[in-house]
Amino acid sequence: MYILGISCYYHDASAALIKDGQVVAAAEEERFTRKKHDFSFPVMAINYCLESQKIKINDVAFVGFYEKPFLKFERVLSQHLEMFPWSFKTFLSSMPSWINEKLRLPKTLKKKIGWNGGVLFIEHHLAHAASSFLTSPFEDSAIITVDGVGEWTTTAYGVGIGNNINLEKEIKFPSSIGLLYSTITAYLGFSVNNSEYKLMGLSSYGKMDREQNVYYKKLKQVVDIKEDGSFRFDMSYFKFHWSSRMPAKKLCDLLGGPVRKSEKEEITERQQDIAAAVQLITEDIIIKILNHVQKVSKNDKVVLAGGAALNSVCNGKILKNTNFKSIWIQPNASDGGASIGVALYIYHTLLNNPRTKQTGNIYLGPEFSNQDIELFLNNEQIKYSRFENSEEMINKTAELIKNNYVVGWFQKGMEWGPRALGARSILASPINPLVKELLNTKVKHREKFRPFAPVVCADDAMKYFECDQPLPEPTDYMLMVYPVKKEWQDKIPSVTHVDGSGRLQTIRREQNELYYDLVKKFGELTGVPILVNTSFNIRGEPIVCTPAEAYKCMMGTGIDCLVMGNYLIKREDNPQDMWDSEQLATD
Amino acid sequence: MKIILKNLLAGFLEGLKMFSENIAHLVNVILLSIVYIFAVGITAMIAKFFGKHFLELKIDKNCVSYWSDLNLKRKDLQEYLKQF
Repeated sequence: MYILGISCYYHDASAALIKDGQVVAAAEEERFTRKKHDFSFPVMAINYCLESQKIKINDVAFVGFYEKPFLKFERVLSQHLEMFPWSFKTFLSSMPSWINEKLRLPKTLKKKIGWNGGVLFIEHHLAHAASSFLTSPFEDSAIITVDGVGEWTTTAYGVGIGNNINLEKEIKFPSSIGLLYSTITAYLGFSVNNSEYKLMGLSSYGKMDREQNVYYKKLKQVVDIKEDGSFRFDMSYFKFHWSSRMPAKKLCDLLGGPVRKSEKEEITERQQDIAAAVQLITEDIIIKILNHVQKVSKNDKVVLAGGAALNSVCNGKILKNTNFKSIWIQPNASDGGASIGVALYIYHTLLNNPRTKQTGNIYLGPEFSNQDIELFLNNEQIKYSRFENSEEMINKTAELIKNNYVVGWFQKGMEWGPRALGARSILASPINPLVKELLNTKVKHREKFRPFAPVVCADDAMKYFECDQPLPEPTDYMLMVYPVKKEWQDKIPSVTHVDGSGRLQTIRREQNELYYDLVKKFGELTGVPILVNTSFNIRGEPIVCTPAEAYKCMMGTGIDCLVMGNYLIKREDNPQDMWDSEQLATD
Repeated sequence: MKIILKNLLAGFLEGLKMFSENIAHLVNVILLSIVYIFAVGITAMIAKFFGKHFLELKIDKNCVSYWSDLNLKRKDLQEYLKQF
């Protein structure tokens, strides 16, 4: 039985297809349309899911959607009623899309993919909860969902047992951890629903001491946090409930200056401290919620979902600061991942099918065979060489990285979620102190303050990082930040952030043999079995999906060579295709 | 001659499309303004008169917890066919 889950119309539209309870295909629309965080109806992602299984839409038994549109519309109308007449401009700009699109999903499904059946609308936070709990290795656990906003809910908790989920309590809009984080993201001149992770990276440069950070104390006036982790905002500091701009003048006055105009303005120490302050407040709230939920659920396992579950700095502190012993977060914890939740909720909970262990395969996107790649290379008259076998590929690639080459790594199916996890990655040596600047300026064209992530084999992680023990599975998806051990910080400067931490990805051989063997081989050659792993894209563009996009990305950046399937393509061998991607690097 | 006529026709159709889009936008703005002022506005004023609030905008220092009941659990499959 096939079930299709869909999420769209807010940010990161996606589609996921399950077969008898197993996720068999999933992808975000942005990877096909090449518009970052594309929120439009995911027709291309749906078509990919169907084609990957060689089925038609009529072979699908159920289609589910990740929220209840009318409930969300009720909340939007409530905002306009409460904020009349200030919300006039937003009313004019938002209503057409509600009337023409968001409230007419069944018609869109019929028109765009030919689906004539009914659609099952699952509440947004229930879809989040299902995406995490039903993919988790736990038979029972506490569940916490934290994001910007769904219909009305912004934060919820409950329990999952077997194939049942019960979300018991909620915090309602407009009080929202996700929207607080987004407001400060906007205040610091970054783009909302896109650059929140930049704020997380920037926070490490600010004062992370609660006593010394004056902005932490100031921001605490804005939000009232109770002992049980529940919270409410003083909305006079915000405008997001009636305007497209998020911080109100009162918040700007409180923080001592206007909104930073653009990302080109130099970041000041004050702005670094503000980023640190909002990170600290977020951690305060989440840790308090976790402690409260642990107490009431009496469970020592927890699953997290929602955009805030991508806050890997906070995630890395959870097991140390709460009584939870185990944690699970699925790789695409944000809205994009809710499509998996919808499909699994229908299969397991609504149709009462027993839980099945998920395979753990995260390479759920389009995959290209060696024949596909060779055909592309020949058609485009690209110069390349072919590896005889995978051993030669590993040896040669490790050698190149050791010699400070920046390598584009294109293998397997595209990753599910926002992180590159060894299928569409740019790899480099962590030993070379110049690599960080080279990658930031010549390859990714991004801000200098942003860190790069290390990938290490799971069996080596404890040697180099101060991880929780046993190693939590979300570390495999780059969802946990841990301190780099002091003695190694100077030896792997390119992946050690300013505060001595690293957002590591751990890799197990059964997940991705080639990638695992490559990291190990690099370790044999250099004594350090760690690589720099960053997503295969330039700033402002989605991660590459096809061989053509990978090749184009290499030729426009400082990537030296591309290992794509069994083929090695060098930038220097194909000078006629070179171009400069710098002017495109915006977001 | 044929090419010139074809280009002229294409330009005319494109102009017509732009014109219709602008008209549609204008009609949207007028209609939505009327809805906003008369439907949203009057409801909002009546609600304000009776002290009704649609959103929680203020902190309540005296309350012990801001958690409210949600009780979101499995319902009958038919319930999920509804958009509300």
